[in-house]
Amino acid sequence: MIKIEHLSKNFGTLSVLKDISIDIREGEVISIIGPSGTGKSTFLRCINLLDCPDGGSIHIEGIDLLDPKTNVPKIRQKMNMVFQSFNLFSHLSILENLTIAPIKLLGMNKMEAERKAIDLLKMVGLAEKARNFPDELSGGQKQRVAIARCLAMEPKIILFDEPTSALDPTMVSEVLSVIRSLSKKGLTMVIVTHEMDFARDVSSRVIFMNEGIIYEEGPPHQIFENPHKEKTKAFIYRVKSFNYHISSPDYDLYAMNAEIEVFCEKQILPRKVRQNLILLVEETLQLYHSYLSKVSLDLTIAYSEKMDSVELVFESTGEEIILISSEPGTDEFGLNIIKNLTEEIGYQRIQDKSRCTMKLKKV
Amino acid sequence: MILQHNKKMEATIVALEGRMDAITSSDYEIKMKGLIASGERNFVVDFEKLDYISSVGLRAILATAKQIRSRNGKFLLANVHGSVKEIFTISGLGSIFPFYDSIDSAMAFFV
Repeated sequence: MIKIEHLSKNFGTLSVLKDISIDIREGEVISIIGPSGTGKSTFLRCINLLDCPDGGSIHIEGIDLLDPKTNVPKIRQKMNMVFQSFNLFSHLSILENLTIAPIKLLGMNKMEAERKAIDLLKMVGLAEKARNFPDELSGGQKQRVAIARCLAMEPKIILFDEPTSALDPTMVSEVLSVIRSLSKKGLTMVIVTHEMDFARDVSSRVIFMNEGIIYEEGPPHQIFENPHKEKTKAFIYRVKSFNYHISSPDYDLYAMNAEIEVFCEKQILPRKVRQNLILLVEETLQLYHSYLSKVSLDLTIAYSEKMDSVELVFESTGEEIILISSEPGTDEFGLNIIKNLTEEIGYQRIQDKSRCTMKLKKV
Repeated sequence: MILQHNKKMEATIVALEGRMDAITSSDYEIKMKGLIASGERNFVVDFEKLDYISSVGLRAILATAKQIRSRNGKFLLANVHGSVKEIFTISGLGSIFPFYDSIDSAMAFFV
């Protein structure tokens, strides 16, 4: 139904969308998630030509949207959009907001348009507000009217651009329940959202965008329960990380510890977790000590707010390092401490990098 | 780390304060070597004010214990509590040393 190939968009020297390609089938409900400023809304606005792409192609039901001969307003009637900021006409009543476009663009007579508008307002639970004006409604009510107005044009595709971002948290659920009910009616929907539970429930497919590309996509259970790629994991598990580079055996242990303390304080980690983390880092660096004159080492501490877990990654470049060894001569006390402080220890060799990962045991 | 020592009856009490880690453990070793070289044979190490110990510190403790025992001296640990005691335990070193609840109970050994 929507076929996008190699789509790109720049604002000045800033490349916001980079070579995006996707096929959206009829009836699919697609949620687009990802960090702020990563191109999600721009992508949606490009689909509707509210922002003009700099490259690539967009086909809607086989019609090339970027062909100068294409009747874009006609296409927009099939593909309507709900905005963060509602965009209702404040000088028109709710009923007029819903009837103006069907009368002017679809040629519907006023009575028919009003009957349909009332039906739609009933559907979103706002029939009693038909004679009110937008300023007399709450944010959640305005957004429900905006959705009803969008439906009044009988679109086949609805694009939602962060429909709950401008709402008071108490009003989010009323809007989401309306969108949720629409998802069961066979409409094709593309939803940019930060509501992860909603995206998981409502979507047939989830797209994770990062830095202007579709970084990972898949069914909700994959993206939310078992994301494959690092940045998706970091986003889904709400991972905050700390990095420290060690390039010499004479690294400053106390400066590093102070930075780890600050990181832990920011994440409000309990004192015992901080103590165990600092001990685990020192013990592991003791095992690395003899290598530090030959290789440089990057330490990453990642705290997942969602999982309430701390993971450590020690990555060295160059000579292969087998850190955890049971051979004689290995520091037995240090190893015992490491094993007791961790739930899991993993090792990987990727090209010229040795990577040791540890999951700190919960206290 | 702050190290203080004083002689009481037959033993020298060495009090540790702060952190015993990859950097500070050598201070302890130097101090203990000096005391052993000056003829001290029996020691009680007071952990009351030690907040942190790593395996480097544990190895330093074990090394001095061996040195003292090879000279037929006594090496006792007192006031090992909380996270420091836990580290002794999980490292496996806790089973090697008896812990004394107080300086007095350790000193009773020399009476």
